[in-house]
Amino acid sequence: MPSVLEILVASLLLTGTFLVAVAALGLIRMPDVFCRMHAAGKAGTLGVVTIILAAVVHFAGGEQDVTFRGLLAIFFQFLTSPAATHLLARAVYLCEYPLSERTQVNELKALLPSRPDEVFNRE
Amino acid sequence: MSPFFVTVLWICLLGLILSGILCLYRMFIGPRAGDRAVAFDTLGTVFIAIICVLGIAWESVLYFDAVWILTILGFLGSASIARYLERGRIF
Repeated sequence: MPSVLEILVASLLLTGTFLVAVAALGLIRMPDVFCRMHAAGKAGTLGVVTIILAAVVHFAGGEQDVTFRGLLAIFFQFLTSPAATHLLARAVYLCEYPLSERTQVNELKALLPSRPDEVFNRE
Repeated sequence: MSPFFVTVLWICLLGLILSGILCLYRMFIGPRAGDRAVAFDTLGTVFIAIICVLGIAWESVLYFDAVWILTILGFLGSASIARYLERGRIF
């Protein structure tokens, strides 16, 4: 008979695995690079944070305590993942990667200069 | 560990490995560098998750430092690729 702690850790692990699998599936199924970023950036981050949390709960209170390191990893994940995705999205948009045919609104088009060279040579 | 918990660990490991294979497939078919960069980012995430699951399965925290180090390294990798795509150089 599994203990309460095991059931908690198991549910966290299954949730995290489900979210990471959704992220990977979105990476395959989505039509253009921005949609893929959307899938991978959000679902993947939340999934891996849930799995780290499962490890923290599993080892909490034992001889091998990873609470600090686990929370540090979660902090860094939440800090770096959106920044990385944003940098990539900016670079990819400036390189004029094609949008999906089903794109309805492109608000950046009015804001950014038509020639990306102007953005390149700004500094 | 109860048999229930071992089964859950196996399911998670297989699901994560399958996710990694999907990421590798996207990395393989591209079609352009940006798609591969996104796949690389997600692959790093999947690696971190696999390390956590294996740590729980082996009852060991030996590799747990790799979790937060890989997080930072993944960010550095993605940021470098983004800078390269945007400007044609990294530094």
